Amino acid sequence: MRSIRFLVWVGAAGALWSQQAIAPTPEPVGSPRGENLGGYNVVNSFETGYRFSRIDGDLGRYRSDVNYRNGVRLLGSNLTVNSRDGHGRFFDEIVLSTLGLGNDPYQSSLLRVQKNRLYRYDMLWRLNEYYNPGLTIAGGLHALDTRRRLQDHDFVLGPESNWSLRLGYSRESQTGPALSSVQLFDGRGDIFPVFRDIRRTRNEYRAGGRMQWFGFRLDVLRAWDNFKEDTPDSLDGAGSAGRTTLSGFRRAEPYHGNTPLWRVNLHRESKVWAMNGRFSYAGGRRDFVLDEMALGTDRFGAARNRQIVVAGNARRPVATGDFLLSFTPGDKFSLVNNTSVYNNRIDGNAAYLEFDNARASANLAYFQFLGMRVVSNSTEAGYRVTKWLGFRGGYQYSARRVSSVEATAPEGAGLQALRYTQESHLHSGVAGIRLQPLRPLTINLDGEVGRDDRPFFPVSDKNYHLLGGRIRYKTRSVALETSYRQRYNTNSVALSTHSARGRDYTAAASWMPRGWFGFDASYARLHVDTVSGIAYFSRLQLTPGQSVYISNLHTGNLGMHFGLGRADVYAGYSIVEDTGDGGRAGVFDPQAVLAGAPQAYPLRFHTPLARLSIRLHSKIRWNAGWQFYRYREDIALSGAFQNYRAHTGYSSVLWSF
Amino acid sequence: MLALLLLASAAGAGPAPGPAGYVGSNACKTCHADLWLNFYKNPHYKSIASGLEPPERTGCEGCHGPGGAHVEARGGKTTIARAFSLLRPAQVLDACLACHAKDLSRANIRRSEHTRAGVACSSCHSIHKAQAPRFLLARKQAELCYGCHSAVRAQFSMPSKHRVNEGFMQCTDCHNPHGAMAPTWRMGARPRMVEQALGNEEPCLKCHSDKRGPFVFEHPSVRVDGCEACHFPHGSTNPRLLRRPVVFSVCLECHNGAGNFGRQGDGIRTQSASHNMADPRYRNCTACHARIHGSNSSEFFLR
Repeated sequence: MRSIRFLVWVGAAGALWSQQAIAPTPEPVGSPRGENLGGYNVVNSFETGYRFSRIDGDLGRYRSDVNYRNGVRLLGSNLTVNSRDGHGRFFDEIVLSTLGLGNDPYQSSLLRVQKNRLYRYDMLWRLNEYYNPGLTIAGGLHALDTRRRLQDHDFVLGPESNWSLRLGYSRESQTGPALSSVQLFDGRGDIFPVFRDIRRTRNEYRAGGRMQWFGFRLDVLRAWDNFKEDTPDSLDGAGSAGRTTLSGFRRAEPYHGNTPLWRVNLHRESKVWAMNGRFSYAGGRRDFVLDEMALGTDRFGAARNRQIVVAGNARRPVATGDFLLSFTPGDKFSLVNNTSVYNNRIDGNAAYLEFDNARASANLAYFQFLGMRVVSNSTEAGYRVTKWLGFRGGYQYSARRVSSVEATAPEGAGLQALRYTQESHLHSGVAGIRLQPLRPLTINLDGEVGRDDRPFFPVSDKNYHLLGGRIRYKTRSVALETSYRQRYNTNSVALSTHSARGRDYTAAASWMPRGWFGFDASYARLHVDTVSGIAYFSRLQLTPGQSVYISNLHTGNLGMHFGLGRADVYAGYSIVEDTGDGGRAGVFDPQAVLAGAPQAYPLRFHTPLARLSIRLHSKIRWNAGWQFYRYREDIALSGAFQNYRAHTGYSSVLWSF
Repeated sequence: MLALLLLASAAGAGPAPGPAGYVGSNACKTCHADLWLNFYKNPHYKSIASGLEPPERTGCEGCHGPGGAHVEARGGKTTIARAFSLLRPAQVLDACLACHAKDLSRANIRRSEHTRAGVACSSCHSIHKAQAPRFLLARKQAELCYGCHSAVRAQFSMPSKHRVNEGFMQCTDCHNPHGAMAPTWRMGARPRMVEQALGNEEPCLKCHSDKRGPFVFEHPSVRVDGCEACHFPHGSTNPRLLRRPVVFSVCLECHNGAGNFGRQGDGIRTQSASHNMADPRYRNCTACHARIHGSNSSEFFLR
């Protein structure tokens, strides 16, 4: 009885936190102990129902953010089968859970089958209706209406023994229509949308094993990753964009390759010392051909008949090594040292050949090279002075060398290879204090300071520091927490300044005094402001300027759960508001942004929801829920607002048999 | 209850403590029937089912230590050799790693940020009262993480986000809560606890394999500073998780020609003079530079 009560309590806790998507229903149904069938115990539940949605406003944006639509669904299911004596004939445990099967935009199935000590098999299958209306600032280009399917299979023979064999397989695919763009016929030519039929697949095969002797564990993994993309681009009818016209366009670009990989890991764990060494080598290679034909007139009205042929391969061997050594000679002191090496070189053998079929002329160009090597070493020590007070501190040094060979002139104008090398060194230190003045109360304070003498990008970390603190109070029924985190990075150079400041403030509370009542609330304020030097051309004039970005995000979550006899009620509210720089400009003006006006994107995203679940029978529940989404922008990034309001909800039956 | 008390009394008088005070799990189930009834569903039950493990690795005493003193005292939390609610985080870790140290995914757990912050195994896993049977999690995974990481919870509430709240993804798709190797594709030790893809690459590439390359012409930011150079990984109010609401800001903040940066050390090259930002069509950088993550046929990522 006590365990049943607890399981109901746990169910209530789950109902409390699961507020972001209204369905499936997290309430428990049926006996938590399940039914005995032969030598097995079965616990199951299925939730079937109808999901509805009514959307007013920008459907594309709704599909990008939320995407729940109408229809009958298997909203969720859970099945566990356990052998009662741990000696099942073929298996001892099956766990199967599903989500959204039937046509939800987010679907998944998770399966585990295992026989104690003999084997374990895990499968995860997922489907995502990946929709994107296109970048608003890019005139809606790069729209995607695709399906992504992912699956992972892992089989382990002898999972608990000293010798085990592992086999794995993963597959990922993305298919569906998309819009891309092409710019023709020279640097000032016009842009045309082109249709893409996206066809991408990746298959990964894994085989490996683990062995253990004298406390050392050796893991070896061999993997082969095969990727191919056969996405054709085409023009759907002749078009004109400004002065350039395009009467025909097609592009075929098959891109196939594989990444064979080795990973070897040796580790040993004991109370006094531990080591973990890893080496990996991935020899990525892709072969490709591109054939692009464009017919039309250029911006001067001259007829163009251009064909571009590219063939070759790209290689990127990556070798990495990590070695970690730690000592914990007593209960109070610990010392950890980590050394890492990362080396990759991107190499290729691409020949770019551009034909002007009308003039029977051709241009030929070759590839570029990019290589990177990073060596890092860090040491960190921790000392626990008393049961309630501990310190830690550490130092890290990283050195990076980036080498490249690149061209000096635009493609087709006769490339000349130039070799460059850039080196940078980072020194950083970390420190922290941990306090536990009372058993349920913990206080963590930490900080990090870093100096990089030559970061690669103006927005990379150069002179940065992080400060953070977290106070947490947790008992069986109450959890209170507040935290602050600050990240500042300042780069100052002769022509440009980049300064980024981020501050996060959070507070959260949850209270579950009884099984029938629970309360959860959280608030976070995420602040970012950046100032970056920019340079751009305006009417052939190089113009220096500043890009200023301000984001002040206020987010809140509130949830309450009540158990009223046979009925369980959940109500919640989620708020996201970006107040930007405080002034809610009605019009977004890119020209003003280029001139240094603060760039902000104030918006509101509100999501109230409510759910009612009634236990009709010990094995049946009826559920109904409503979730409202309200998205409102204060500025229109490309002249049009993407606002929407959506009522979504469901009615379902949750049953167990 | 009376029957249970009588049984408990009988149990107290019954099994004599074995070597080093081990009494076996049968003694425990007399009083802790509620835990025992469902224990056969617990992955730890296999230590009992096999019958091959020594007492210190079998059943209740495998985790809680020898129960002789607890039985003799007829209960009491303080008489349990290892009562997890009374243990310090390091002691909890020691107890669990006695068996669970062999897995590669936990090879760095003693050095992890969680361990340093006093987050013990029992903070996330509930052995007897798990809500998620797989991995014996005390709650659903995202909810466990949100319990401490409110800022991350806020990021996943944004309009543009990875679908964690919808159940399509899990935090562990990208992170290893037990500790991970340093993210060597970057200079600093951050981001911490990120589970690399095979070959020590960013975890983003596990799903976004079309961005992985290799490409003959790689956008260096993808390789050198990683995806976070342009994107927020959790969620953002900006489209496509971008760091700025407009694309040209993302590009121009690096492509400004400022000295000391870039491969040549004399700046990331500025846009060509043929670009006229006074003309709106030149503000849509990725309309022309459509293959911004990498290209095999255009060093300017045009195709």
